[in-house]
Amino acid sequence: MTLIVLLLGLGVGVLVGLLGIGGGAVLVPAMVYVLGMDQHLSQGTSLFILIPPIGLGALREYWKQGQVDLKAGILCALGILFGALGGSLVALPLPSRMLQGLFGCFLMVSAVLLWRKGQLESQTQVANDGRVHG
Amino acid sequence: MGVSMAEGIERDAGIFLVACICGVASGMFGIGGGVLLVPLLGLFFSFSQHRAQGTSLVALIPPTGLLALLAYARQGFVSWRTGFLLIPGVFLGGILGGMLAERVKPHRMRQIFVGILFALGAWQALSAWRR
Repeated sequence: MTLIVLLLGLGVGVLVGLLGIGGGAVLVPAMVYVLGMDQHLSQGTSLFILIPPIGLGALREYWKQGQVDLKAGILCALGILFGALGGSLVALPLPSRMLQGLFGCFLMVSAVLLWRKGQLESQTQVANDGRVHG
Repeated sequence: MGVSMAEGIERDAGIFLVACICGVASGMFGIGGGVLLVPLLGLFFSFSQHRAQGTSLVALIPPTGLLALLAYARQGFVSWRTGFLLIPGVFLGGILGGMLAERVKPHRMRQIFVGILFALGAWQALSAWRR
């Protein structure tokens, strides 16, 4: 069991570095399904995991490539700090089942947004290529 | 969409506002918020994929979820042991993923991730429905 949890962490970590996310979006369903934990408990534990700077190693790799907007990042951190408190006050009184359903919908919306962004980016790329060659 | 907003203070205010929305999702769903922040930085502020991801990682370094964590902990919704066991793996995996991200085409990687994310979401929503 302990080994499963350790390996699970490693797998999620690869996604953290690869995609620049905190890992919570993957950690929460993993705890619910792989470890059989309750929705609220998984979310609280996920928040705990995100307290230490687990993304620091990944950030260093991005920093070396100059792919970091420090000011925007700090602004985002401030916004998330206060927004998160508000969000937790909404989530805690909800029944676990409803929260799980909402979480599922949230993941699907995030997936669509990411997909949409990818589409826009490849369109821009195609347009730029066209300009270069044409 | 995709058109960059005004520079300067308006852009900063916009980024802060978007981050607040990501924060609400963070507290509600116990996540870091990066999964929402990365696409929104790209869509609203024209960040490239790599830059959006790097900037999102900055936002995840300070303990942004601390206030939310305290609220969950007060109600006993934290499994400290599982958390401690997951932290080293996520950290080491993060370095590995960061190195991989320089080599792998972000386009392909994102397609896979979108698929995983959507499937997880659908699974969560369905099992809540049927429970």
